[in-house]
Amino acid sequence: MSDSYHIQETDADSSSSPDPTPDDSSTDDTVRPGETDDLVPTIEDVPESQSVIRSEDLTVHYGDEQALQSVTVGIPEREVTAIIGPSGCGKSTYLRCLNRMNDMIDAAKISGTVRFRGTDIYAEDIDPVALRRKIGMVFQKPNPFPKSIYDNVAYGLKIQGFEGDMDARVEEALRNAALWDEVKDQLDSSGLDLSGGQQQRLCIARAIAPDPEVVLMDEPASALDPVATAKVEDLIADLSEQYTVIIVTHNMQQAARISDKTAVFLTGGQLVEFGNTDQIFENPENQRVEDYITGKFG
Amino acid sequence: MVRKEYQTKLDELRDDVLYMSEVVAERLRLALDALEQQDGDLGEEVITGDAEVNELYLDLEQDCIDLIALQQPVAGDLRFIAASFKIITDLERIADLATNLGGYAGEAHQELYPDVDIQRIGDATLEMLETAMNAYREETAEACYAVSEMDDEVDELCEAASELVVRDLIQRDQLGSDEDIEGTMRDVSRLLLTIRDLERVGDHGVNIAARSLYMIENNDDLLY
Repeated sequence: MSDSYHIQETDADSSSSPDPTPDDSSTDDTVRPGETDDLVPTIEDVPESQSVIRSEDLTVHYGDEQALQSVTVGIPEREVTAIIGPSGCGKSTYLRCLNRMNDMIDAAKISGTVRFRGTDIYAEDIDPVALRRKIGMVFQKPNPFPKSIYDNVAYGLKIQGFEGDMDARVEEALRNAALWDEVKDQLDSSGLDLSGGQQQRLCIARAIAPDPEVVLMDEPASALDPVATAKVEDLIADLSEQYTVIIVTHNMQQAARISDKTAVFLTGGQLVEFGNTDQIFENPENQRVEDYITGKFG
Repeated sequence: MVRKEYQTKLDELRDDVLYMSEVVAERLRLALDALEQQDGDLGEEVITGDAEVNELYLDLEQDCIDLIALQQPVAGDLRFIAASFKIITDLERIADLATNLGGYAGEAHQELYPDVDIQRIGDATLEMLETAMNAYREETAEACYAVSEMDDEVDELCEAASELVVRDLIQRDQLGSDEDIEGTMRDVSRLLLTIRDLERVGDHGVNIAARSLYMIENNDDLLY
């Protein structure tokens, strides 16, 4: 608990000012149980050196509607971070900001910063396509290309102009996605012929083939049956040995099962609590988080 | 409010645990009465009545398991269920100790130690139990700490009582003044067992307070 800090709501003047007031959250604001002001978020501070992605005052509007409200948090490296919250709380919006998927939405207006290994990913000289090789994404519905299993996995590498041993990389990605044993004899058949669970693991193989550092997952198991879900969950645990995994899920038990850290977004696009998953599910600091995860609202 | 049925089940569990605690407190009270009046029949009633407590215990244990398996409780709800699960065990043990006391009631025949105030110790443990269950019901952390302090007093009372008995026994032995030494030994050992059992009732009261404190504010101060 001692590593939790209040982050004071900075009344976002929503300019993406590169030098926010130094340390606007003073450390003597340490939260003690029972003293939490529920309107003030409780965000565990992950040191710069251990966070691979860091957002500062990240605010997003879709037209007039505010989708994210000044989100400041560091995502720790090689851990699984789950993002939970009710529908419309901004959790998918946040995920999409992390590899600039929101660029494709014209109405989206983004302020604040997202840094990946210290580099502002919204800086002008950043190529979003190159960024997405470093920060890959897996979507809710398995969406393999209408190509062979092999080509699905090799696709990103080919675009990248990869010139090494393609067979070896494809095999490695399929192995890391826990799919190799099931498909090694049918690499030429269409990815669309696989079962839903296999298709999702194929998409994970496709996402990790270019050797990203971060894998973003948006409800990766919500379209799968319990057995396929369990396989994907096991896979996520394995992936976190090599990659940083950030997963948005509607399923709170899934978040509890698979994540090291949990971020709870509540209505209005506010990150209300971020901390160790066991702490969040056994003794959340914030009453609104307690009410949400125990099902008293939402 | 969503998950209405779940909320209702949580409320029912709380009510049932409180009901069980009332039954157990009643057993303990009867056992103390039986001891005071040396009433073997009343003692026997406490012993046969234990079946009801055991049944309650098993039912509530199952309710806790069902809630965990079917509702995946988290946060305060989880701590409440975990605490209840432990507390019913302590209540069941207190009821077992009450049956011990009930058993002693019919066997003691001599008023050997009028200075040993079993009723006073018994009342103190009963008060601990009631205070602990109040803390559980009202979710008051202060009451949990109060129970822990009351236990120190009970321990002192028990220790003083045991010492008094043992000293007197040594004296009797030295004087050779006891004609029915076997009867005395039986009564003395029963008396010492009574003191020990009451001291353990107090310990279970502390356990209940400790689990309640954990439930209330995720605080393990009173857990040993």
